[in-house]
Amino acid sequence: MSVQESEDVSKLNKESTSSSNAIENGPAPGNSATPEVSIGSPVPNIALPANFSECSRGDLVSLISRMLSFLIQINDSLVPKEQNELTRFHSRVPPQISVYDYLMRLTRYSALEPAVLIASVYYIDLFTAIYPAFSLNSLTVHRFLLTATAVASKGLCDSFCTNTHYAKVGGVQCSELHVLENDFLKRVNYRILPRDDNILNCKLERRDGLFVTDTYPKGNVRGPNNGFNVLDTYYRKIIEIVGSYDSSPDKTKRAHYSLELGSCKKDEDPSKRKRFLEESDCDAATTSKKPA
Amino acid sequence: MASSSQFKQLEKLGNGTYATVYKGLNKTTGVYVALKEVKLDSEEGTPSTAVREISLMKELKHENIVRLYDVIHTENKLTLVFEFMDNDLKKYMDSRMVGNTPYGFEMSLVKYFEWQLLQGVAFCHENRILHRDLKPQNLLINNKGQLKLGDFGLARAFGIPVNTFSSEVVTLWYRAPDVLMGSRTYSTSIDIWSCGCILAEMITGRPLFPGTNDEEQLKLIFETMGTPTERTWPEISTLPKYNPQLPQHLPQDLGALLQSQTREKIDSTLVDLLYGLLQPNPERRLSAKQALNHPWFAEYYQ
Repeated sequence: MSVQESEDVSKLNKESTSSSNAIENGPAPGNSATPEVSIGSPVPNIALPANFSECSRGDLVSLISRMLSFLIQINDSLVPKEQNELTRFHSRVPPQISVYDYLMRLTRYSALEPAVLIASVYYIDLFTAIYPAFSLNSLTVHRFLLTATAVASKGLCDSFCTNTHYAKVGGVQCSELHVLENDFLKRVNYRILPRDDNILNCKLERRDGLFVTDTYPKGNVRGPNNGFNVLDTYYRKIIEIVGSYDSSPDKTKRAHYSLELGSCKKDEDPSKRKRFLEESDCDAATTSKKPA
Repeated sequence: MASSSQFKQLEKLGNGTYATVYKGLNKTTGVYVALKEVKLDSEEGTPSTAVREISLMKELKHENIVRLYDVIHTENKLTLVFEFMDNDLKKYMDSRMVGNTPYGFEMSLVKYFEWQLLQGVAFCHENRILHRDLKPQNLLINNKGQLKLGDFGLARAFGIPVNTFSSEVVTLWYRAPDVLMGSRTYSTSIDIWSCGCILAEMITGRPLFPGTNDEEQLKLIFETMGTPTERTWPEISTLPKYNPQLPQHLPQDLGALLQSQTREKIDSTLVDLLYGLLQPNPERRLSAKQALNHPWFAEYYQ
């Protein structure tokens, strides 16, 4: 599989307006994306709201890029780049633009909502569960993020843009985004609703070659909100794993993140949630490619 | 998974909002299907309507929701393979007109259709899905008298908290007053209002509130149901398009109004159900579950 590099994400940098006329709707991202270096002063603590939909997008982008950097570090070390099986999501060389800057760019110019940002992390687990050749690494992360955010916006939100727009912002040709989107939707069998039993159902459909699984496990009860609590779970897990500045591989934003005190949600039964985490393999974004 | 060679394409059934629908025959099983062809757009890629319809409908297995069997990918189009249905409720109502005079259904049929409609809606709502475009054209029926919800192109999962809820949803005649006034926090009650409008329309054969624009639509609703006040609907003044200078109308007798348009007997339990579904204040509207437990349906659940 060859990867088109003509309008190349690898040439984007955070200030870039070149390569694909990527920004038509506004100025290039400003300096807020620049790492804040003030060595010596204490790292500020930021308390995040219990509901991710109220979380500032800047903080979410920061958290998610930490999470992805963490994953990429693991996956890059597990499989040497040259041994990687090529997928449509591969770049030839790692793009210059950092994960943080790229995600910030997509978030700003495509007005991505918090739910879309978290769903993209969930889609990593979904996609790797049914597509073993894919792993999120420094070569695949950009195209993956572009595709995942476009699909989530179109599938889950009322306001979304055309692929032409997403492609421009993301620095790929529109025809390539069509192909990526189609590849993603087909592989996950259009199972893009983030519910707690979704990955399991997706795997069953794949195993049985069915469009819709009929072997839904009996006695499996969906979690709160009919299984849609899965994005809440991801939000909490991400904060747990990379909230601390010290342990994060991505040092772009100097902050310790934690959930606001007393922010346990009323409608959640903790015992039920635990059962779900154990049974329906929705362990947040900890999927990594096993060594070949 | 199916390939396109498995189906024989038969006559065209109609043009949907974003697709063309054909009748098809599954050559392996001999079963008729509806084939909905969606063109892949050079700007949009896979249309969001198709992404929603497929992702939502594949989860919804219920006897009152049209089944999506499969999706076939070809070079520049997607084909959605649906359960075949003989007719839709709109065409069926039109076929009963005598000259230009509409006729409603017999009350037993009205009740059976409304029961099935509410069963389908209750299942969607249990699964945290809003249909957002319920109207006779989107309710499919077959020769066994079954009614099923179709066309989920505007539907959305409401279990996922997103900040943008469009108020440009539901065809005007079936759109709830809170949505007409620009509410972006609506939920399941949006579908219930449509169920009320459809119930009245099945009784008389005429659309209940056939407005031509947003203002006229609200006017027609309030002329019949009464103009809401801050007492009957405390949050009304917070709606973006609320007009405090609305002409004040007292509620009309809905039972008498419908009775003048049908020979079937409109009894008081039916009128009570209609008022429950057509509460202008969304907080006061019945849920699908509550409506199914209403005494008017007693013969089905007893």
